[in-house]
Amino acid sequence: MATVQFKHIVKKFGDNLVLNGVDVDIKDHEFVVIVGPSGCGKTTLLRMLAGLEEVTDGEIFIDNLLVNELHPSKREIAMVFQDYALYPHMTVEENMNFALRLRKMPKAEIGARVTEAANILQLNKFLKRMPKQLSGGQRQRVAIGRAIVRKPKVFLFDEPLSNLDAKLREEMRVEIAKLYQRLNATIIYVTHDQVEAMTLAGRIVIMNHGIVQQVGSPIEVYRKPCNLFVAGFIGSPTMNFLTGRLSSADGVSVFSNESVTLPIPAFVLPQKEALEGREVVLGVRPDDVLVEHPGGEKLSCKMDGVLEVCELLGHRENLYLKVSGQRLLATVEAFFNRSPGSAVSLCFNYQNMHVFDKATGQRISE
Amino acid sequence: MKKEMSAAAKKKRLQHLLIHAGLILVSAAFVYPLLRIFSVSLRPGDKLFSMDLSIIPAGATLISYSKLLKDTMFLHWLWNSLLITLATSFIGVSLASTAAYSFSRFRFPGKKAGMILLLSSQMIPAGMLILPLFLMIMKLKLMNTYLGMIIAYSVSSLPFSIWILKGYYDTIPRSLEEAALVDGTSQVGAFWRIILPLSTPALSIAFLFNFTTAWNEYLVARVVLFSAKQYTWTLGLFELQGQFITQWGMFAAGSMLVTIPVLCVFLYSSKWLISGLTLGSVKG
Amino acid sequence: METLKSIVEVTWFIILVAVGVAALVGYLYSHFKFYARTWFFPAVLAVFPALALAVFGGLLGGYTFQLWLYFLLAEAAIAAFFRLVVKGRHTVPYLMLAPAFVGLALLLVYPFVFEVYLSFHDLKLTTIMMWKNTGTLPFVGITQYIKVFTTSPLSEVTFWALLLRTLVWTFTNVFFHVVGGFILALMLNNHIKFKGAYRTLLVIPWAMPQVVAVLAMRGEFHAQYGFVNIFLVKLVHLLPFLASLGVGPVQWVSDYPLITCTLINIWLVIPFMMVVILGGLQSISSSYYDAADIDGASYFQKLRYITLPLVRPVMMPAVTLGTVWTFNNINVIYLVTGQSGGTEQADILVSALYKAAFTYNRYSYSAAFAIIVFAMLFFFSVFYLKSFDAAKDER
Repeated sequence: MATVQFKHIVKKFGDNLVLNGVDVDIKDHEFVVIVGPSGCGKTTLLRMLAGLEEVTDGEIFIDNLLVNELHPSKREIAMVFQDYALYPHMTVEENMNFALRLRKMPKAEIGARVTEAANILQLNKFLKRMPKQLSGGQRQRVAIGRAIVRKPKVFLFDEPLSNLDAKLREEMRVEIAKLYQRLNATIIYVTHDQVEAMTLAGRIVIMNHGIVQQVGSPIEVYRKPCNLFVAGFIGSPTMNFLTGRLSSADGVSVFSNESVTLPIPAFVLPQKEALEGREVVLGVRPDDVLVEHPGGEKLSCKMDGVLEVCELLGHRENLYLKVSGQRLLATVEAFFNRSPGSAVSLCFNYQNMHVFDKATGQRISE
Repeated sequence: MKKEMSAAAKKKRLQHLLIHAGLILVSAAFVYPLLRIFSVSLRPGDKLFSMDLSIIPAGATLISYSKLLKDTMFLHWLWNSLLITLATSFIGVSLASTAAYSFSRFRFPGKKAGMILLLSSQMIPAGMLILPLFLMIMKLKLMNTYLGMIIAYSVSSLPFSIWILKGYYDTIPRSLEEAALVDGTSQVGAFWRIILPLSTPALSIAFLFNFTTAWNEYLVARVVLFSAKQYTWTLGLFELQGQFITQWGMFAAGSMLVTIPVLCVFLYSSKWLISGLTLGSVKG
Repeated sequence: METLKSIVEVTWFIILVAVGVAALVGYLYSHFKFYARTWFFPAVLAVFPALALAVFGGLLGGYTFQLWLYFLLAEAAIAAFFRLVVKGRHTVPYLMLAPAFVGLALLLVYPFVFEVYLSFHDLKLTTIMMWKNTGTLPFVGITQYIKVFTTSPLSEVTFWALLLRTLVWTFTNVFFHVVGGFILALMLNNHIKFKGAYRTLLVIPWAMPQVVAVLAMRGEFHAQYGFVNIFLVKLVHLLPFLASLGVGPVQWVSDYPLITCTLINIWLVIPFMMVVILGGLQSISSSYYDAADIDGASYFQKLRYITLPLVRPVMMPAVTLGTVWTFNNINVIYLVTGQSGGTEQADILVSALYKAAFTYNRYSYSAAFAIIVFAMLFFFSVFYLKSFDAAKDER
């Protein structure tokens, strides 16, 4: 197993700047998920690590070895592709031992490794089948198996679950998590699905426009998103954003826009950031919009709103609310028995409130 | 309402009936010449020239076939054709398979120029290159030999083969080769172990195309080969038919022997051949 | 025994080609790989010209100092090119392309250039021995080109008559191919029984070896024993009034050779057009027709506003290809009229060109003729492609 370092990676396709100075350090045995919207350069980064794209500028190290000019086959990595890339003219077994055969490994060793991987992935029954005869999930497992038998330094996963249907995706997600516990390998996993990122990752790397936005554990990036992009990208349903201006009254800073006026306590926003007249964006997750709540400590004052639409999800319910002109989404326990159009009262949970500078998009709250 | 429906159905039936009638008529007209060859090949020697239109003639006999095989060098001609054709197809497809891969997978300076050269070579009238090729073969002292024929034929189908194969390679996902690279092959190894085995359908179509072109070729053979021993079957048949008065039965028998296998192969592969044709032309 | 000998001969040749390809790839690979080494220039200049002299000198029959000098200069230029321009980039694609393109250069580009060379010199039956022995020919400038327009390539027909005939031939053929193919494809594109069987039967003329098909049809146009005339006789017998309209058996091949060739060629190529157009028709989604039905379109309206525009993109390349093929079709005309004593009344440009070279042995004349035909075709293609591109942009 190995460490991976990206040092100031730049990638250009012609004049098109895809990656603009990416620095990431990945430790031994770490499960790192690179997440971001499509076109953010995450797959390009992975493919550069695999040696499938040239590095325009910067350095990539695997186990402290500079691999920029190294051929993919010499990097001791294994990759699981988005479309699985199973060789259609080989059986499952041949697919899995292809790399080992290329390395002229002894037959006994090849057999042992394939059997072991097949046991882990429950593929024993399918070894003699062709990829065409397998279902999507089975193909996925073969693709993973092909990576496992190699015993590589680093596993690369390129959106491996995006071609599966929702139910299968959940199952495979759990499988991959189990596999990680068992292999205890260095894994780099690229996805655009933030749920996958949150559930699988030891650390998440969030990218946008070819730049790393934040690196941290799932709980860190959820609790303390460092900028507006991360705040909006992580978490489902999406965070509510309220744009407005700060002012201060009686030593307490107050947020206000046309619809909402709200005091911001000092434990949310430190005094030194609470500049008079600063344009800010307030971020509140739907879970922290409390509807018809009796009130209590560390909650904001009550506001009056109108219920526009209810979406019942089963155990939870999405409420689309409107406070004068400001639209808000709240997620509450199921069976909020009110009809659309009725008036409701709501308040925010200060403990999980985020404040961002509007101009820079950076987090300024605690 | 119900009455109207049945009227519409009646109209439809009449329509189909007319279509069937038309198709049967045209099919008959299209197939009849082949049946005539068959019929003539079965005629007894004294009735080769008759106004008879029946398909199995009175006193049908295989005498023309046996005369063809015994008295002429027909089998030898077939053998000549087969050797020349196999060799040219093999060379042509081998060269095309790698060239098409370059065009399909890589970006390199001169790619566009190369593609334009391939396309524009299709504009050169076939008759135009026969003369210089003939003179070159003469200069190389390869007149009346297999080698001269193979040289003249080998690149004639190359542009089209490259075009078909490129179209097919384009449909193979790149990630397969990338997986192979990660698994430890070189770029050429990925081509050899992954792309070539996956391309067998396209390779056989290209082979078939090369094969039929060379197999049916007449004009180059006419000027390069001059002794009956070296003739390909096309020259041989022309010779038989040229002496119209005496050899019609043998000509028909020979035609049948050549046509039946070609027809079977063609009908079997026509679907792919056409998709190759349209793919190449539409994309161009 | 003889069979074995022929197999050995051909196998030996294939091995030779393989060795040639390997040598070519090795030669280029060494340039790609070692272009930056200090010993690169001295090594390649010492090795490759000497090797080339050994191989080609043997082939051409003379190991002269001059030849070696040529090879040396060529190698120096190639090595410099690799060092200064290529610099070892794109090794794999170039190496994979090289064999095919060297083949094309030797057997397509070189003959083409040679044809141009011939057209400015005088190669004919009286000078061919001289060319064989010394490799030189008298230079005559553009005389051959003037001759193309002033003298007949055959014994009587002029260039302009041939050109006119070629255009008529091409237009008539392509017109009937497309119309015939379209009608057949429309008939086949219904939900009818035995569709596959019809399709198979209808492609038979295309599937038969052309030489067999044409020669057989030529026989069937025979004045007395061909079925065409036999049918005509029977028809007149059945409907006597036709005779008064002038219908009756005719001497097809000798009296109406061009019509005979045209009929044969139409019969040959309709299947190809039919198949291509049928492919286009089948790719049209039936929802368009459903929508048109709801809008109340008649059969011909649907044909005009849905079928034709949607089949066009599939048809146009096929029509272009068909036009070029028909224009260049020597086979049909030569096979029908090419026997000694055959008529000239059916010859088009390309078949006249073939006959001028190989029946009348006027080599240089036919080379000039070929260049002119090629130029015409080239300008037609460029013009056509341009207008096609423009049409594409409009959509």
